[in-house]
Amino acid sequence: MILQNDTPNIDPFRFLGKDGEAAEIIRTYDWSSTPLGRVEEWPPCLRTSTALLLQSPVPIVMLWGEEGVMIYNDAYSVFAGSRHPALFGSNVREGWAEIVDFNDNVMKVGLAGGTLAYRDQELTLHRKGFPEQVWMDLDYSPVLDEEGKPAGVIAIVVETTERVLAERRNREEYERLQNLFSQAPTFMAMTSGPEHTFEMVNPEYQTLVGDRQVVGKTLVDAMPEIAKQGYLDLMDDVFKTGKTVRRAAERVMFARTKDAPLVERYVDFVYQPIRDERGAVVSIFTQGSDVTERVRAENHQKLLINELNHRVKNTLTSIQSIVTQTLRGVQTREEASKAITNRILALSRAHNVLTAENWDGAELRAMVVSSLEAFQVESREAIRINGPDLRVGPHAAMSIALALHELATNAAKYGALSFSDGSVDVSWQLLGDKFELDWIERDGPTVVPGDRKGFGSRLLLQVLPLELQGTATIDYRPDGVAFNFATSLEAVNDRPALEGV
Amino acid sequence: MARVLIVEDEMLVAMLIEDVIVDLGHEVVGPAMRLETALEVVEAENVDFAILDINLAGKQSFPVADRLADLGVPFIFASGYGAAGLNERHRQAQVVQKPFAPDQIASLLERL
Repeated sequence: MILQNDTPNIDPFRFLGKDGEAAEIIRTYDWSSTPLGRVEEWPPCLRTSTALLLQSPVPIVMLWGEEGVMIYNDAYSVFAGSRHPALFGSNVREGWAEIVDFNDNVMKVGLAGGTLAYRDQELTLHRKGFPEQVWMDLDYSPVLDEEGKPAGVIAIVVETTERVLAERRNREEYERLQNLFSQAPTFMAMTSGPEHTFEMVNPEYQTLVGDRQVVGKTLVDAMPEIAKQGYLDLMDDVFKTGKTVRRAAERVMFARTKDAPLVERYVDFVYQPIRDERGAVVSIFTQGSDVTERVRAENHQKLLINELNHRVKNTLTSIQSIVTQTLRGVQTREEASKAITNRILALSRAHNVLTAENWDGAELRAMVVSSLEAFQVESREAIRINGPDLRVGPHAAMSIALALHELATNAAKYGALSFSDGSVDVSWQLLGDKFELDWIERDGPTVVPGDRKGFGSRLLLQVLPLELQGTATIDYRPDGVAFNFATSLEAVNDRPALEGV
Repeated sequence: MARVLIVEDEMLVAMLIEDVIVDLGHEVVGPAMRLETALEVVEAENVDFAILDINLAGKQSFPVADRLADLGVPFIFASGYGAAGLNERHRQAQVVQKPFAPDQIASLLERL
């Protein structure tokens, strides 16, 4: 003290060696109110350390003594925010009251001669008057006094909040993309390199290609059947030219299960080249939808429309046949008109029964009843129908309906149904794989055989046996006509035109 | 006079084509109304010409067309499907769309 008083011209702060805000505070601060005491009494180690941190462009704070009195540089004051300058010279536990436990540990370790290092340490600070989440890289080391004993702790403080938040945003973005990827309703895959190595596939993609490991493998190794179908060349092309490829409703065969037949799927997809910063293609992003069900439905619809057109054209041709043939065998215009109308109605009734069954076939009884309804006589059962339940194919149903119409028309004109007590027994039976249909007229007049070239005779005796691969016989008995048709059960069970659709 | 095979699965239509062929002064072979029958007839009979329906009770008649083509027998398709119903091999074949006028069949037969 005396020494200093004796040398009044010497600046006691000359050791600071630097001008600046922090240096100015040190000069004007009332250090005697702190445990450090007047600057003139500071030990050399404190002076040297203070000068050292003031010179540094890195934010540094020194916590001196048991109390941790804070001395920091200009860089640190920026970090301290509105705490500065009140923070200067305060005890660290009071200055940063919100993290007293953290600093308590720092002081304990530092003054025991230990060091501490934190990377992206998360702390909540109140430096702007409100709680704030911050991240810091913190490095603590002891400052030794002249005896080599720890007298304080020096901390290098680098705030990393911005970087941590940026990284967090990136990570969240990545996770969001991952999420999108895995929950996308479309299939997605990322392949990299000229060999197209799978980096990532989403669950939809896995569903498309089947349960097999593809990530980490090249296209050729992971899905050889796909590579062979031209997709290796296509991806090579995308990789080389950098041009996006789009395909719609493409038929692709997948080996979904090992050693099982390939599975047909229709897919809409895009191969999109992914470029690096220099513009070179490094990956291909595959994205698309399995549109198999839609394509199949469209094909089915096309087929149905086609089939409908076919049916209409065939029906028109049937009408043409009825008209031209009826006209050949009639004498008068009235007779022609009536016969044509009745035959068209017979055709129409058969269509009704078949349409009700989606042209898939018909119950034989329903078909027989429908064809003969118009010929039934009121008040008595002139036509008796007997036979087991039997489902017949659409061709057989139509043929039998037309045949019965011809038989009934003749019976009503010349046969049993033209007599007041005449009747007909229509019956069918199955004998093993044989099918037989009988039309037996009773109590009618004796009928003389008609023109064998007439429409009815031709249909019953020549064409029906060809259509249903059987034999037809007609017997002109004294009390009425007996018609028998025999064929195989298989022949009347013909399959519908749309089988396999 | 030619021997004309008729392959047609519907009775009324078969009768109509039969009439057309007979009226034109030709002889009818068949009609064969199922694929199997038609294939048998092609092997068993001498045929100069054939008229084929495409759909025979749910089966396509192309095997008959294949056999006729192999044997060098000319044929046409008569179908409600028109040319759209043809398969690859017979894409170029003559097709008469049903219903048809007898003249159409007549002119095709005359070209023989």
